[in-house]
This record gives sequence, C-alpha cells and structure tokens, in this order.
Amino acid sequence: MISRVLGSAALLAATPALAQEMLNMPAATAPSPGVVIPRVQARAYAFEDSQWLLEQTLRLEYGIARDLSVSADLPFFQGFFDPPQPSDGEFGLGDLELNLELRVLREDLNAIDTVRASVFAGAELPTGTNGFGGDSVDPFAGAVITAIFGRHGLDAAARYTFVTGDGLFLPIFASDTPDDFANLDLGYAYRLYPEEYGEERVGAWYATVELNTTWTVGGEYEVLLSPGLLLEAPRYALEFGVQLPLTEERENAPDLRLGLLLGLRLIF
Amino acid sequence: MSVLTISSRGVAITAAAVILVTLTTGCASTPTAPADREASLAAIGDGTLAPGRYDLVVRGMSCPKCISNVDLQLKRIDGVVDPKVDMKHGVVSVTVREGAAPTRASVAAAIGDAGFTLTEIREVPR
Repeated sequence: MISRVLGSAALLAATPALAQEMLNMPAATAPSPGVVIPRVQARAYAFEDSQWLLEQTLRLEYGIARDLSVSADLPFFQGFFDPPQPSDGEFGLGDLELNLELRVLREDLNAIDTVRASVFAGAELPTGTNGFGGDSVDPFAGAVITAIFGRHGLDAAARYTFVTGDGLFLPIFASDTPDDFANLDLGYAYRLYPEEYGEERVGAWYATVELNTTWTVGGEYEVLLSPGLLLEAPRYALEFGVQLPLTEERENAPDLRLGLLLGLRLIF
Repeated sequence: MSVLTISSRGVAITAAAVILVTLTTGCASTPTAPADREASLAAIGDGTLAPGRYDLVVRGMSCPKCISNVDLQLKRIDGVVDPKVDMKHGVVSVTVREGAAPTRASVAAAIGDAGFTLTEIREVPR
C-alpha cells in the first residue's frame, strides 16, 4: 500500500507546483484566478500495539477571483488496526471536504514582508466507506492569518466543525466523535536557504514547526507537535513532516504514537 | 455541559453565518486599503505602456512560488513578455513588445491577481 501511495505521488511529481504554507494547517494563501493547485499528502500513523493507518489525501485548489478560492480534499485510508476497526489493510474513502476561502486582508509591507488573513467555510460530505467516514454533512467555518517577515513565517488558524451525525462508528481521532470540535493551530517557518533572495530562481528550504490541536465539546482532545521540512520551488513544493502527540484524551480509540508525512504541491 | 454545548454552538453558528455572508458579498472587493490603493494608482499612472523595458516595483513577494504567480498573470497580457523577478528588491522586469500597447491598469491588475501589490512602474532607459 505504501508503494501505491508513494507511486501516486511520484506520478503527480512528473508534472510541473506552490507557497510558504505549513504542512498540517490552513494558510491565508490562495491561487491566482484561473490557477489550479493539486496537492497530495501521504501520511502514515503509528498507534499503540503496532496498529497503523495509512492516509493519502488529494487536494485540488482553484482560484475563482483575486481573493476567492475553492478547494476539495478527498482522503483515502488503509487500516491495519485490531478488529473490529479496519484491519488487514482494509481500504476505504474518507469524507470529501469542500471549502470556500476569502482573503480579507492583504497588507504587503515591503518587497518580502506581508500579512494576510482569510476566512473560510465549507462542509465535510459523507463519502466515506468501510468505516473511514461519517454519516452526515458536517459544516465548518474558520479563519487563518499568515505573516511573513524576512526569513520568518507565522500562521495561526481556528476552525469549528458542527458534527450533525454520529461520527465514525469506531473513532480513530478526536475529530471522529459525534461531538462538535474545534481545531486550533499555530505554525512557525524559518527559511533555512537562501539567506537572502536574489535575482536568480532558486528553491527555498524552510524548517517548520506546528502545534496542531483538536478539542471536542465532549472533552476529548489531541495536541500534536509537528516539526517539518519544506522545499519550495517556483512550480512545486515538497513537504516532509513528523507528528508527535504531546497529550491526548480519546475514548475507545487507540493512542497515537507517531505520524509521518510526505507531501507534494504543484502549480499550473 | 448541555448549556456549554448550546452556547458554543450558538457562537459557532453566528461566526459561520458572518463568514458566509462575508464570502458571498465580499468576493468582488479587494482587501488592499483604499488609501494605499489610491497612492499606488497615482504612482502607476494611467494610459498605456510604449514598447520597451520596464521595472515593476512589487510588494509582498515572499516565496519562490510568487515568481510563478507573477509569471502566469503577466504573460496573460498581450504584448508583455519575458518577466524576470528580483525577489530581493521586489522588482519584476518586463518587456513590452513592438506593436503592443498594454494599459498600466492591466499590469496593476495582473500583479494584484497574482496576490501582490504594485507600487510603481519605472521605464528602463534604452
């Protein structure tokens, strides 16, 4: 399965890609009008007792107008849990997520420094199969701010999801429960290379670290520390990341030990 | 807990409604502040660009992907070719072909569509 996941990413890599965005949270960036940005992220999660979950998410983002974009995220899962959760590599679709994002602030301070903010709203649709999705249309809304000052980038995002159904039959993450939940994320990126931009076209390397949190109104939560590495070139970006649980409280779900991420973004 | 749940739902639903209204009514507006926009327009001027080489002074190009965004949008303007981006100084050099007469407004719109702010157009002496 891993080879199949990585193989799909490699196929997309063969085509020409995107921005200083964090790996695991929204950013107040958007494609230009008429521009499509595909993004593939392959993740492997290790849980207690040698249980695994593989996830591959395909995202398509499209610029509708100067400050308005739409995106669709479709995850695919493969579970290696102990029964009755999906086991033996059982494969399934996750819930399709549709999102509309409007940039409400763009303050370009000088050649490089900028502060941007967006609001977004959308819904998770019940497209999941084999226990990997919910049974309801779950709307969400949120806001994100991105600030770049020289070699430093800061992101902060908040999102609230209204769970209108029963959640997953067997929850894996806090967001799988029947309760409404909030995501609160903070991210920091430091440009490792180049120290200064010049006239030549070069890729930039960034070290990133994020705090990704999920809080349900029922009292369950996850707090993940997510260091990563981002290579961004004019037409593509590569992402390498790790997710480490700092603290979590989830009922009837295996404890997460580690998450690994490999991602690719393209710009057309 | 039920009181807390209802309260949080109320706040969240209100926030979602505000966001949706903003999304549906605000998509045609630009987030750049009006005063800045007017100052930029004054520096950019109006009319068309004669054939030649120009330096566009641009703010907010903070990452390599910005180069592609600017490329894609400028190349959509008839007569504008060979954009070269100097991110350090925030300058995009372009050539206007012989026989073409792109408007200054179309260049400013292209930079805006790319996600950045054009503050000045300088003609490069031949």
